Amino acid sequence: MKNFFDAADKKSRKPARLDLIQSLSGLVLALFMWTHLLLVSSILLGKKAMYTLTGIMEGKFLTGGDHGFPIIVTIIGIGIFSIFILHAGIALRKFPISWRQHKILRDQMKTMKHGDTNLWYTQFLTGFIMFFLGSVHIYILTTHPAEIGPYASADRFVSDWLWPLYFILLFAVELHATIGMYRLAVKWGIFDGKNPRATRKRLKMAKNTLTVFFLVIGLASFAAYMKIGLEHRDRAGERYHPPSEQAELSRGEHQ
Amino acid sequence: MSNDEQGRTLKFHILKYDPQLEGDEPRMVTFEVDEAPGMTIFIALNEIREKHDRSLQFDFVCRAGICGSCGMLINGKPDLACRTLTSRFPRGEITLLPLPAFELIGDLSVNTGEFMRSMSERVEGWIHDQEQESVDLTRIEERMDPDLADEIYELDRCIECGCCISACATKRMRDDFLGAVGFIKVARFALDTRDKRTDEDWYEIIGNDDGVFGCMTLLGCEDNCPKDLPHQHKIAYLRRRMVKVT
Amino acid sequence: MKIIYTDSLIIGGGLAGLRVAIAARKRGYESIILSLIPAKRSHSAAAQGGMQASLAASVKSRGDNEDIHFADTVKGSDWGCDQKVVRMFAHTAPKAIRELATWGVPWSRVRAGDREVVINAERVTITEGEDAHGLITSRDFGGTKKWRTCYTADGTGHTMLYAMDNKAIELDIPVHERKEAIALIHEGNRCLGAVVRDLINGELIAYVARATTMATGGYGRLYSVTTNAVISEGIGTAIALETGIAPLSNMEAIQFHPTAIVPVGILTTEGCRGDGGLLKDVDGHRFMPDYEPGKKELASRDVVSRRMTEHIRKGKGVPSRYGDHLWLDITLLGKAHIDKNLREVKEICEYFLGIDPSKDFIPVRPTQHYSMGGIRTKPTGESIGLHGLFAAGEASCWDMHGFNRLGGNSVAETVVAGMIVGEYVADYCEANSLDFKTSTIESFVNRERKKIDDLIARSSGEEVYELKKSMQAIMMEKVGIFRNGDGLAQAVEELQALLKRSRNIAIQNKVRSSNPELVEAIRVPKMLKLALCAAVGARDRTESRGAHSREDFPARNDREWLKRTLSTWKDEADELPTQEYVDLDIMEMEMPPGSRGYGNDETIHHADTAVREKQIEELKKSMPNADRHEMQEAIMPYVLPEKYRGKNERVGVGYE
Ligand SMILES: Cc1cc2nc3c(=O)[nH]c(=O)nc-3n(C[C@H](O)[C@H](O)[C@H](O)COP(=O)(O)OP(=O)(O)OC[C@H]3O[C@@H](n4cnc5c(N)ncnc54)[C@H](O)[C@@H]3O)c2cc1C
Ligand code: HEM
Ligand code: HEM
Ligand code: SF4
Ligand code: F3S
Ligand code: FES
Repeated sequence: MKNFFDAADKKSRKPARLDLIQSLSGLVLALFMWTHLLLVSSILLGKKAMYTLTGIMEGKFLTGGDHGFPIIVTIIGIGIFSIFILHAGIALRKFPISWRQHKILRDQMKTMKHGDTNLWYTQFLTGFIMFFLGSVHIYILTTHPAEIGPYASADRFVSDWLWPLYFILLFAVELHATIGMYRLAVKWGIFDGKNPRATRKRLKMAKNTLTVFFLVIGLASFAAYMKIGLEHRDRAGERYHPPSEQAELSRGEHQ
Repeated sequence: MSNDEQGRTLKFHILKYDPQLEGDEPRMVTFEVDEAPGMTIFIALNEIREKHDRSLQFDFVCRAGICGSCGMLINGKPDLACRTLTSRFPRGEITLLPLPAFELIGDLSVNTGEFMRSMSERVEGWIHDQEQESVDLTRIEERMDPDLADEIYELDRCIECGCCISACATKRMRDDFLGAVGFIKVARFALDTRDKRTDEDWYEIIGNDDGVFGCMTLLGCEDNCPKDLPHQHKIAYLRRRMVKVT
Repeated sequence: MKIIYTDSLIIGGGLAGLRVAIAARKRGYESIILSLIPAKRSHSAAAQGGMQASLAASVKSRGDNEDIHFADTVKGSDWGCDQKVVRMFAHTAPKAIRELATWGVPWSRVRAGDREVVINAERVTITEGEDAHGLITSRDFGGTKKWRTCYTADGTGHTMLYAMDNKAIELDIPVHERKEAIALIHEGNRCLGAVVRDLINGELIAYVARATTMATGGYGRLYSVTTNAVISEGIGTAIALETGIAPLSNMEAIQFHPTAIVPVGILTTEGCRGDGGLLKDVDGHRFMPDYEPGKKELASRDVVSRRMTEHIRKGKGVPSRYGDHLWLDITLLGKAHIDKNLREVKEICEYFLGIDPSKDFIPVRPTQHYSMGGIRTKPTGESIGLHGLFAAGEASCWDMHGFNRLGGNSVAETVVAGMIVGEYVADYCEANSLDFKTSTIESFVNRERKKIDDLIARSSGEEVYELKKSMQAIMMEKVGIFRNGDGLAQAVEELQALLKRSRNIAIQNKVRSSNPELVEAIRVPKMLKLALCAAVGARDRTESRGAHSREDFPARNDREWLKRTLSTWKDEADELPTQEYVDLDIMEMEMPPGSRGYGNDETIHHADTAVREKQIEELKKSMPNADRHEMQEAIMPYVLPEKYRGKNERVGVGYE
């Protein structure tokens, strides 16, 4: 037997695709952000480590020279920004569209006190915040691709007064990403297995652990940048060079 | 049923509002009831009606947790009132509200029946099989895998109480959203080999933002279904199947 | 005045009502169902254990057929049934189940190979045949020779009702919910429909139809403790009685189920014992084999209930603050079995008792459960007094259960009756047009309106809740499992007094729309009439038969009491029903009265029994080559609608 419904007025496949894109973009963003945070946190291993890593990212090993291709940063920036906007655009469709809807949502949360509903609201709020703050951040970095490094970044924290933005963004992104990944798993039943309920419990544990893990790393890096930034305040604008290079540099100057 | 609950006085805070009466306004009213051992909210409400307020409206039918009539918000959570023992509330304060997302008939009584019927009509919740009418009833029935029968029964256990609907913020924000009970029905019939509908057919029913793609995986349904139906698992399953249709 | 016309009006949206509506609708007649509640919430949903039909697929049911189902049912009824109706039923039940299978009931299926079961307290391995793999399976139930009860775990009634209602939705049959029929409309002896009160806005509506079917279920709420739903108040039965011309039958035949939990009376299914559960007393002793060495826990319900009561009276009950009870032990079935096949039981134990039935014993006591009596009809389902009024399901008494129904035979009856009566309803719609005087309709609606007006206007009078409670207590105490002349005489007197008082009910809440107190005030006088029919019937029936058990007349007395009780309420002003008796004709029986095989047989036999036995013997001899169907036809011919006459196929034996 074929369709029970008239094939002529088939339902659009768009909602299915959008839902999938929402999840895939979320997945890419989350993976990117986790990597991003690990990269950023290289500062914890010392200025040199961060410097080297930045260099690798910029492809310095290809030129062997000083600058590498900061354009890589710009390209990644534009790429991520597009995904970011795409993701946000699709997510927008799920937002409460009116004050009335928002009020219903809040009332519902107040009476039911239901964990996963609250998690969604957290995602909604953090997403909203990231939309603005994240855009600013990406814009700055994309337009100043070469200015990433232990001092440059730390200066941005302190001297360019971006630390409040980063502070908020840090919480937003870590909450949003881990909740998002948890939601991704339960939404598509990826790890359901024989006992989906037990799986969900485990996923939630994993989610909480990851949130804490990334927040701790993030805050530590935050502190590190702040410290460097504060110490480096009066020399803001100066670039970091690892001791070896510094030696080279100074040798050159002498010549 | 432990002894230490004896002698307590319970405080019930109940929403009173009769839309049939002109000028009536929603208000919370508090009633006191002496707790008896083994007392359920069913017993308590009947006592309140007899002793304190003859007009109090609520719905019970089976009073055994099987018919799905008595869903209400019990201290904020949707649940079956008939099988909720008052001893579950250590503070002795119980707030009762009608299930949201349904038409209010009066006080704690809501119109879940009409809702469920139109939900059934919407998902065409019956076996679709054009040969059905020509089955010869004297013949041995068509065979079915025993495990499949058990699996279908798992989903058929839904009692249409509406708790999953009230527990879903998405449903409350968006009137046309099908809601969890609808997904359970679809999953039930999609599983059933006697129903000849294809995934394309199902897509026509749930393939949009009022259907499975509108579900934001809030899981209020999963966490509040008194029959413990596997909402999360089944909605995920439907979502995967529907995405494959494209 | 609002009037709604239709071809077939069905009052009641349980299994019986839905099936009648579907039958009529399929024959092209517009049908409307009225129900107090959404159809899927009807009490049919509460049936857990299963539905009897002789499919004979499971190994323990091999060899089963209509004949054995028939014999079990007749014995179960203590020969108080109409054997032709039982034949109609047993023959159609397999078709009913197969039809429901196509409509979506996920019947539990046979799994080929070995499986462990508990029989008589021992774990036994049985081997299901390859040839039956995937066919509908069955379990053991009380009072049956074979494992005949088909089921879906322990949610049988639920899945049946859902499949049935879904079918009704598919056929676009409207269910008018939250509507209560409060009177039947009739012109002379032709029923024209019902006066109906909208339970939300209080409006009175006349539903006018060619055929009206009463499928309003049982009246367990005449008792203070019952397994029945709170809406099982028998109002449909009562309004038929109030016509003064539609008789009720066997109202004293009221069944007590052995295993309802204490104190609330919620049922744990017979499937518990069917699957191997045991009854134990205060010493943990399994006592049923002492009384019934043959069928033990799986004797007929009435028997088990009485034995339990006897045992409690001997001081072997478990004392509790709610009085003595006994234990139901299903721990021996194992957690896996309970989690899968007795889930509802498990939930009930957890939520209402706070116990785990795979570890703890369940406190149980016999509790009011089922009403065999009801609106007396012919085998077609039509009332014997009021044309155009049909009845089906628990509300009716076409009389297939006699004085005791077997577990699993009731949901089966609702569907089978729905199928058969539905055809006759359609026939009736075909043969009869609607002609009536509008003034008739008006006068009925006005009469009901006036009653309600009077109720609301009365400023002081009787308390409705108090009357109801008194009635329930009297029924419980004096018209219970064991009955005796004095108690019953008192019961009648007291109920009569209550009925008089009920004519002077005053309510506190004067609202005309949704008003629970008003609903009670309308119902209680009707319930009192039913209670009186039951009490008078029990008082006058000086014998014990099936569930009707008189301590002062312990023997079944076929000589004087092989009769059906008919009750009518001739005049609204009457305080007692008018009782009549109709003989059950042994000379027409396929199975003349014999022993049920419980305890000592003290039956006082009827002279015709021996004559008929001999007659059948000779008939059998004269037809040595006849197969079982031909033989049956020769002994007791019965009529069925054409479409249900075919023989039933079974695995391994075909259409044999
Ligand atoms: C707890 C329990 C367990 C049971 N288990 C089994 C079992 O395992 N096997 C078995 O065979 N039997 C079992 N039975 C018996 C069986 O379930 C019932 O006898 C049967 O379901 C009755 O069906 P029905 O269609 O006649 O009525 P119901 O299902 O009771 O339906 C009655 C309908 O009538 C409507 N109604 C009533 N009064 C009015 C009115 N005045 N106006 C309008 N509508 C009205 C109601 O709204 C309802 O829709 C059990 C019974 C109980 C109580
Ligand atoms: C503009 C900023 C963003 C907004 C407004 C936003 C909003 C949302 C919303 C509302 C959801 C829930 C979608 C649903 O319920 O179906 C969501 C899901 C998700 N988001 Fe974001 N988000 C943003 C940025 C990000 C970023 C930067 C990441 C990565 C860290 C991310 C990762 C995820 C993930 C993994 C999901 C789960 C996907 C899913 O449910 O399908 N989001 N986002
Ligand atoms: C291509 C895009 C991105 C690049 C190249 C990038 C790069 C960086 C760099 C280099 C830093 C170190 C501080 C600095 O130099 O200013 C940083 C910090 C940070 N970034 Fe990004 N980022 C990108 C996208 C994002 C996005 C989308 C978010 C979140 C929505 C984000 C959130 C943060 C946060 C919170 C910090 C501070 C970390 C901390 O305090 O430990 N970044 N990013
Ligand atoms: S799915 Fe669960 S919560 Fe929802 S209606 Fe069914 S039983 Fe109730
Ligand atoms: S609560 Fe609602 S949003 Fe989806 S997961 Fe359940 S239907
Ligand atoms: S009254 Fe039936 S579930 Fe509560």
